[in-house]
Order: sequence, then structure tokens, then C-alpha cells
Amino acid sequence: MKLLARYNRILILVSIVGLLCIGLLFYGNLSFYLNKQIDNNLIEELMEVQDFAHARNIAPAPEQYQDLVITYKRANHFDTTKKFADTIFYNPKKHIVEPARYLKTGISINGLHYQVSIFTSKVEREEQIKSIFISIISPVLLLVFVLLLINRFMIRKLWHPFRLTLENFKTFNLDQDKPFEIIDSPVHEFRELNQAILDISLRIRSDFREVKLFTENASHEMMTPLAIINSKLDTMLQSDRLGKEESETLADLYKATSRLTKLNQSLLLLVKIDNNLINNQEDIDISALIVERLFYFQELVQNRNLSVITTLNPVTLKTNGHLMEILLNNLLSNAIRHNYERGNIEINLSTDGITIKNTGGVQPLDEDRIFERFYKDGSSEGTGLGLSILKQICSRQHYGLKYTYTKNLHCFHISFQSS
Amino acid sequence: MKLLIIEDEESLRRSILQYLTAEGNICDIATSFDEGIEKISLYDYDCILLDLGLPDGEGLELLRHLKKLKKSDGVLIISARDSIDQRIEGLSLGADDYLVKPFHLSELYARITAIVRRRSFNGNDQVVFNEIEIDTTAKEVKINGILINLTKKEFDILLYFVTNKSKVVSKSAAAVHIWGEDADMADSFDFIYTHIKNIRKKLTDAGCKDYFQSVYGVGYKFQ
Repeated sequence: MKLLARYNRILILVSIVGLLCIGLLFYGNLSFYLNKQIDNNLIEELMEVQDFAHARNIAPAPEQYQDLVITYKRANHFDTTKKFADTIFYNPKKHIVEPARYLKTGISINGLHYQVSIFTSKVEREEQIKSIFISIISPVLLLVFVLLLINRFMIRKLWHPFRLTLENFKTFNLDQDKPFEIIDSPVHEFRELNQAILDISLRIRSDFREVKLFTENASHEMMTPLAIINSKLDTMLQSDRLGKEESETLADLYKATSRLTKLNQSLLLLVKIDNNLINNQEDIDISALIVERLFYFQELVQNRNLSVITTLNPVTLKTNGHLMEILLNNLLSNAIRHNYERGNIEINLSTDGITIKNTGGVQPLDEDRIFERFYKDGSSEGTGLGLSILKQICSRQHYGLKYTYTKNLHCFHISFQSS
Repeated sequence: MKLLIIEDEESLRRSILQYLTAEGNICDIATSFDEGIEKISLYDYDCILLDLGLPDGEGLELLRHLKKLKKSDGVLIISARDSIDQRIEGLSLGADDYLVKPFHLSELYARITAIVRRRSFNGNDQVVFNEIEIDTTAKEVKINGILINLTKKEFDILLYFVTNKSKVVSKSAAAVHIWGEDADMADSFDFIYTHIKNIRKKLTDAGCKDYFQSVYGVGYKFQ
């Protein structure tokens, strides 16, 4: 639920309950005082009747006043308690039934007991209450309404910097050089929030850079010792006393060293792609590049008796040639390496993207994890970085990258339009 | 050839020196920037091996110095940093080639001879080994004067081995020479075997002696 909606809901609920309470209280109070006033009038009227009866010993003539009706009834016993109550009665003067208040008590005229009831119409009074009530409640209602409206407008305006901050925060990208943009606001809390986000983003960014720098430096520092190992191996290889066993050890050492070298190179490449160091864009004829790369790999393809089916539509992209070459190398070498003898490779190129399908292991790969760094399935002898490099290149070039496994074919699809 | 090795890493320098002098080359060494400046000012070399990561100075400065002296020594940069900018800067300052650490000594030697060959003014693009005649410009191989047909990779491998003749060249080095960064391909090592088998067959078919000697599965020697 949005903050404004939540706020409004509470505000409306409180207003309604409050208004109801105030209205009831107000109405009750007003009625009480008006009734008291009516009762005083009734007593005054009674006193007049009593005076009249006392002086003349007869009941007074009926009042001319339309809203006042006095009736006399013979009573068996004399009861002078005054009883006030509301009722609805038939007003014989106005010939209508209307709400009224009456006073009943006993008087004696000429020694006879009478019950006298004095009715007074409440219609006018009620009208009065109503108009007082309305004239007070309606401005209050209007006030609440205006308040809601102002709130709506004000909250929207007040929270505007917050929304901008949020928007900036969402678009903030560690990889980009653009720092988090502070939103200027006179509100202290928002300024504080912005400052906090800025601080944390700077800290994360510097940590991130340090990690990248560390990777880069560590990899570079390893290159010189690797060069020494390589040169020593090359020197040892020239020895005349090299036997079979030593040679095999040397062969293993060569393999391990070249793997380590490749690992280092891959890490450095990832850092370079991360840092956007390989970024010059040019028009690249993708179809020609695929043909060239296939030619480059042709011996490996022939060696494993793989059949390659290509459907290449001419596609030229504005992209980075070096990255595109690495991308194709990775795709093709994967398709060759993880294939079996006499397997198939299908390559499709259209303006939408590249699809490379190959036969290989019967189990689909874990599509959520294959692009993670150092993820390898048991049989792979690679560095475990090839597919992460692929993913990194795609994300840098804003290409979509998807892996699927259908009909015993491992399929990598790269869409040139970012998904 | 007369070569200068400017490299501060002692053990690497020793290996390079050992490999290159065994080929009958005259090698000078410089262990620092200042020593390098001194040597290149005093003598002329066919090729200078220049490590960019020297402790007491920027290696590229040496190139500028060389340019100022108007010397035409060949320069091969050796660097632990595979940076495109540095590579471009080095080459634009007059370096002939750029080799990234780690490298194989056979690769280093192949690059040096290629530089020296390119820079020699008498059109010396022929590499001859007994009956084998390699034209490095036309990328042709003749056996006893008869042209044989080799693929590009086969040509590269043959030239590589002839250049490093009477040295054991590891399969790993040959693979890197042919495949570059993709040399880790699971079967690229075995693949060198296939290549060499094919080259051998083509050479012997043309009446050439079989000069390839296998060294216990770790590499080959061309002798």
C-alpha cells in the first residue's frame, strides 16, 4: 500500500469516528439544554394555570397559541409530582401529529382533582437544533475534506525528493563511473537519507574498485613468476639427460602452468571487461567473423569428426571486434570441447542474434549456475571462467544471453536486442 | 645476432641468456633502466629485449631515448601487463613486437628472429635448413627446390621448429604459438601431434629427411 493511501485511510477513519462522537455529543448537549428551556416554559405555563385556577377556581380557557395545548382530566387522587417527557401527539389546533414535550401534574379546582397535561410542540425547536447542527457540522466536514485534499497535494510534494532519491538509487550502477546523484531537499531527513546513500555508495564503490584492483594486481604479479617457471621448464627440456619419467613430469608441469596462465589471463580479461577498458566500437561483419573463427578452429573440428551446419545471414553490428572475437571463440570452443566424436554443431546467425547448438552430454546444464564464475561440471578441464566472460561481454554490449537444452542439444542464444 | 636483454628479474634473465647464447648469439645484459640506457647508447644491437616493468624507470622511456639517438635496433617488448594502450604506445614508439609474460623461450626466440629478419635490408626472408627452403614473405616451403603445399598453421609450426632448430620445443609452446590464448583447449596438445604428423608426411613425401624427433610426449626437436 502506498504511504499516501495508508495515511488517508487512517485520517478518514479517525475523522469519521471523531465527527460521529462530536456530533452525538453536540446533539445530546444541545437537546438537553433546549429541553431544559422547554421544561422551564412548561413550568411557567403550569404556574399560570395554577394561579388562574387558584384565583378563579376554574380551569383557564384554552390558549390561542397554536403550539401550546393544555388538557384537563378528572383524576381520582391528587398527585402533584411533575412529570416531564417527550411524546408524539395529535395537535388538535394544527390537526397534525407532531413531536412534543409535555408536563403532567395534578391540580385541584373547586375541591376536585384534575390531571393537567401541558403539551408544547417541539417542531420549531427541532428545526432550530437541526439548523444549528448543520451550520456547525458542515464547515467541519468541509474542513476535513479540504484537509484531505491539501494532505494529498502536500504529501506528494513533500515526498517528491524521496521518490527522486529512490529513482536515483535504482539506476545507480557500480560498474558505471557516474556516482550516486544527491537530490537537494530542504527537508532534513531527506538530506540525511541522501547523504547516507551517497556515503554507502562511495564506500561500496571504493571496496568494489579495490577488489577489482586486487584481482588485477594479483594476476599481474603472478605473470612474472609464471614466466620464470615457463622459462625454467623450457631450459630443463633442453637437458641431454632427460629420461622418460622426467619428460612426463615436465609435460604435466607444462599443462598445469598453461592452465594457470590461462586462468590468470581470463581473470584479467574479466577485469578489463568489467572496467570497460575494451570499448571502442566499430562496424563488424559478424557472418564473416564466424566464418573466420570456424576456419581457425577447423582442425579441431576435423579432428573430432564434427559436422558443422551453418545458416549465416549477413549481419553487421556496431560493436567491439575484440570482444566479439572472444565471444565467438568461447562459444565455438565450448561447442567443440563439450562435444563427442562425430557430433553436430549448428550455427544460426540472423539479425536477431546468434544461436549455437551442439550435441554433448545428455544432461542439461544448470542454467542458473553455468554463468557463475568458477562453475564447472565435473568433466570440464577449463578454467570455469569461459561462460562468465561470455556473460560479461553480453551484458557490456547489452545483448541477451540464454542457455536451453532441447532435443539433446545444448543451445546458447545471444540476442542482439537486449532483452 | 647481437642481442641486449634488459630484464630486472634475475632468474628469468638467466634462462633467456642461456637459451639465446646456446644458439650462437652474442648477448649483453642490462639489469636496470640506467644500465639499459648506457648499453644502448654505446653499442648497436640487432634486437633489444625490453622489459617494461623496470624498478628504476619506465621502460617506454628507453624507447624514446633510442628514438632520440636515431638508432635502428630492433626492439621486442616483454611485459607482464597485457594492456592494449601500452601495446599501442610501445609499438608507436618504434618497438617491433610485444610479448606478454609468461612466454616460452622458443616463442621468444621465434619473435626475435622474425624481427631481425624483417629488419635486415638485404631482403633476407629466406630461412634455409639443409634441403628445406622457407620463404617467410611468400609463406612458401620448398624441398630441394620443389614447392610443397602446407596449410597456414603447418607453415607456422615448421617455421617455428626450424627457427628453434636443435632445441626441444614443448607441445605447450607449439600450441601457444598456433592457438594463442586458446591454447588451453583440452585436446590442443594432442593436436600438435596431428599437425606434426601431417607436416612430417608432407616433407618426407617430397623427399625430405625426417628431422622431427619426439621427446617422450613432452615435445619435439627439429634436428
